[in-house]
Amino acid sequence: MSGKQRIDEQRAFVLHLYPYSETSLVVDVFSRDHGRLALLARGARRPRSALRGLLMAFQPLELGWFGAGEVKTLAKAEWIGGMPLLGGRCLLLGYYLNELLVKMLPREDPHGVLFDAYSAALHALALGGADAPELRRFEKTLLKELGYGLTLDREAVTGDQIIAQEQYAFQVERGPVRKVGAGDTANISVLHGKTLLDMIADDYTDPQTRMESKMLMRQLIAHHLGGKPLQSRRVFMELQEL
Amino acid sequence: MPASTSLEELIEALRGLPGVGPKAAQRMAYHLLQRNRRGADRLARALDSALHNLHHCNRCNNFTEQEICERCLSTRRDPAQLCIVEMPIDLNSMEQTQAYNGLYYVLMGRLSPLDGIGPTELAFGRLIARATDGVVKEVILATNFTNEGEATAHYLSELLHARDIKVSRIARGLPVGGELEFSDAATVAQALRERRDFD
Ligand SMILES: [Zn+2]
Repeated sequence: MSGKQRIDEQRAFVLHLYPYSETSLVVDVFSRDHGRLALLARGARRPRSALRGLLMAFQPLELGWFGAGEVKTLAKAEWIGGMPLLGGRCLLLGYYLNELLVKMLPREDPHGVLFDAYSAALHALALGGADAPELRRFEKTLLKELGYGLTLDREAVTGDQIIAQEQYAFQVERGPVRKVGAGDTANISVLHGKTLLDMIADDYTDPQTRMESKMLMRQLIAHHLGGKPLQSRRVFMELQEL
Repeated sequence: MPASTSLEELIEALRGLPGVGPKAAQRMAYHLLQRNRRGADRLARALDSALHNLHHCNRCNNFTEQEICERCLSTRRDPAQLCIVEMPIDLNSMEQTQAYNGLYYVLMGRLSPLDGIGPTELAFGRLIARATDGVVKEVILATNFTNEGEATAHYLSELLHARDIKVSRIARGLPVGGELEFSDAATVAQALRERRDFD
């Protein structure tokens, strides 16, 4: 055991659990100061394990681990509390956030701002907040923190201020471009200037803003996922159709 | 020197078991072939027989050798109550309580979006058809109190409510004989949030 690599008292969330053996789990966690990590939780699947039930997604935990390899060994886990359990529909939204992190966040890359945004989003969802603002705010932070650069406040070509009444075509790698005519196939999303301004202000009261910002984020995320499908969205859609 | 193909095939097959890695699979294969050939023969036969004879009960989805299992056919059970559990092992736990005399439906899993398990994989349609047969009056959701079990219970309750079926959820709280001092904080916190009137 390399004592030097020992990390203690790290705030973290479980993103996903993978069975590793009959008695152990590999836990995909998102920690405040060390980013996303894979931790081996020895014995966590044993019936009387103290870890069983504790390693649960959407609950703030304090974790300790050691090791230098790609998969570290979980040494300690404590429940912090203060966050109600997610229930019902919010669970599916929580899974969506977790899937975004699992699929987009590289391992061992600290993202404190994103961690705080994630924690805040879960908290708001758990307390029954409206989900559109929480999801959009989190997606915005995710794209920014991962360095994908999300331009919302300037016309990408001219640098002009966004005008609420104008229509813009949002080009993935550039940003909003003033829409002159129809038929530009490189554009992925057409939206109103007001939507962009509302997104900057995190104001999602306008149904048109809610709809357009959702479509925009869906397309941007799909682009950055490079075609990897989001299972949580598929499951969510299927459940709505039943 | 390359290993024989049957041996490789056996090791590969054993790796299909949950939690069995390449090393464990090799150990098992050598053990069966070298030390326990009778056990290996028995395992092979049992597996073959189970595969050929067992399928899902038309009504409860549990494994049975019949079209409809004995429990579903029993006249001593109350067909108006249908308890939904995740796995056959959960059904066994419910039966051990001797506190329930209705029928069951075994989902054979739970919603787990990150593992790609949704309503299609769990055949929610079959369950809805079973619960809306006109005889069932109450559905009791006994999925686990994990996030996955809760999500499953939530969506099933919505789907069944929409079809005018009475739905209940088993209660969560401290274990019988449980003392606060020795209970985990998450359980106590949730028991407090889900407190009920003292009547
Ligand atoms: Zn049956």
